[in-house]
Amino acid sequence: MDVILDVENLKKSYGKVSALKGIDFSVSTGEVFALIGPNGAGKTTALRIVATLLSPDDGRVNFMGYDVKKNPERVRENISYLPEEAGAYKNLTGIEYLRFMANFYARDEREVEGFIRRAEEIAELGDRLKDKIGTYSKGMVRKLLLARALMTMPELAILDEPTSGLDVINSLEIREIIRGFVKEGISVLLSSHNMLEIEFLSDRVAIIDSGEILEIGSPEELKEKYSVRNLEEVFRRLVR
Amino acid sequence: MRKFMNLFKKEIKELISAQLILSLAFTVILFYFIGNMAKTEMNKIGGAKDIYILNLDDSDLSGEILRNLALANFKINLLDVKDRESAVDFARKNNINLLLIIPEGFGPSVLKFQPEELEVYSFIRSFSVSTMSDTEIVKQLIGIVNNYLSDNLIRNRISDITPEDLKNPIKSRNFIVIKDRMAEGSVTDVANFVYFQSIFIPIILMMVITFSSQMVLSAIAMEKQDKTLETLLTVPISRNYIVMAKMFASGLIGLLSAGIYMIGFRFYMGGFTGSLPSNTQIEGVIDKLGLRFTSSSYIFLGISLFLAILCALAIATILGALTDDLKSAQSAFLPLMFLVLIPYFISIFSDINSLSLPLKILILAIPFSHPFLASQNLLIGNYHIVFYGILYMSGIFVILIFIAGKIFSTDRILTMKLRFRGRRSGS
Repeated sequence: MDVILDVENLKKSYGKVSALKGIDFSVSTGEVFALIGPNGAGKTTALRIVATLLSPDDGRVNFMGYDVKKNPERVRENISYLPEEAGAYKNLTGIEYLRFMANFYARDEREVEGFIRRAEEIAELGDRLKDKIGTYSKGMVRKLLLARALMTMPELAILDEPTSGLDVINSLEIREIIRGFVKEGISVLLSSHNMLEIEFLSDRVAIIDSGEILEIGSPEELKEKYSVRNLEEVFRRLVR
Repeated sequence: MRKFMNLFKKEIKELISAQLILSLAFTVILFYFIGNMAKTEMNKIGGAKDIYILNLDDSDLSGEILRNLALANFKINLLDVKDRESAVDFARKNNINLLLIIPEGFGPSVLKFQPEELEVYSFIRSFSVSTMSDTEIVKQLIGIVNNYLSDNLIRNRISDITPEDLKNPIKSRNFIVIKDRMAEGSVTDVANFVYFQSIFIPIILMMVITFSSQMVLSAIAMEKQDKTLETLLTVPISRNYIVMAKMFASGLIGLLSAGIYMIGFRFYMGGFTGSLPSNTQIEGVIDKLGLRFTSSSYIFLGISLFLAILCALAIATILGALTDDLKSAQSAFLPLMFLVLIPYFISIFSDINSLSLPLKILILAIPFSHPFLASQNLLIGNYHIVFYGILYMSGIFVILIFIAGKIFSTDRILTMKLRFRGRRSGS
């Protein structure tokens, strides 16, 4: 498989605090790659750099041949980022929000309509899409945002804690949606605290702590290497 | 351009909330009612006023005073009581506002130039404008009668000198000079006329700047508070477009809001000034002095106002980028508000030229000072000062927009924070 994202020696500091101390990883086309680690490990910083929100202090991030620091506009055309605590514009209806976002990616009105139809299918919110987002539950907002992130069929979907704060049913539905889109060829870079979710979704995982990657491999490889039954135990062994 | 318009439309939709429409409607209605109340009060001043009179004199002179009061639009009500105490008591019990007592022997004594006292009783039940003005009118009337009597005496005793010449042996003529133009008239009257003609300019400016800045600040703070900014920053659109869309949408809604508020304000001011007659004599002086806005002065004023609004929007954008949420945006708005209020009050209550040099430099360094001062400078013909102000504001705007663009195009938009006392920083 072709490498779609290549991260080399990535470093980022906030003042005196070193968030990333030179991490390396790559994501292949159609692969789901997960960053797992405790709070403050540097997962969100890494995702934000790939999403062109933060500028790296050192190192190189290459996406589809574009350097994220030098060509952020080209990168943005082919990615979709779902932040951990993302919100949507409360005064807009669900449909208005989807149309607003689709207009940035579509070349013409026909494509906009196509994106919206796909988003409607993903979100499964029915007539509630005609209501103001301010009236939605947290689960509905998250589904809407995920639909927004996937409706344009980006080359890389960057999902930060996609099921954060959601109940079991909503989490399951969102995982199924992601899995379905991966089958259609989308690559995914995600972060999560939920090891069950990671095992269900990911082809490979990187365990990160204090700005350093401790281990990279498929969930099966890691479990075998550490002779444990699940990823949670691998995590506990590595992060103490 | 399609992407920019997409953003611009979203910003407009976000800004036109039910709260905004309600607050605008409420203010206009409130101003309308206050204006109507003021108009009623002013009409009371202009209309016939009741005065109750106990005339114990019944001489020709007291008759003359009553006729003059009637001419001054007073409705004369003669009291049929015997003495002062009864008259005051009657007035107190019957809600009478104004009572005049002409004492016995008033006419003969005055004609013999043995000063007599008219007693004017004002019963204050409220401090409304009309109540206070009635007493003033009576006072002025007594002054006129006094003049009339003393003039008559002078005419009878000294026939070769007019009373006017005797009382005012030194005469003066007042001329107002503005550059190469000169006209005879009262400088106070002209200043008052110009003040009332241009009173709306600083108010409009202050309102537009305040509304627009507050809106752009809130728009950015809301993006942060509602966690929509991160997503917006990763869509394929120039960050400068994001800044511009927010600024223009906020500017437009700010302008509309200020316009609607001004309609309300006109109702309010109309209540006070609507019934005042225009003074053709002052108008003539104004024309002679050229104290009128010409089309070129309107263009200069428009450019100056527009640049001030742009500067305010750029400052608000920078401040908004440094805030976390709506609460911190409100705190961040205060310094900008002061920057607008300082030149506003100076333009109304003071003359910048009378300030000390350091203070003058400080005031002129505030970009918003220039449009506040522009209207006066344009009337006087100091176009070059207005032009320098426009150049200065253009320079400041370019610097500010560069800073705003820099903040938005780098990760500072997410990492930079203003720290307010008692609040935790965002990251």
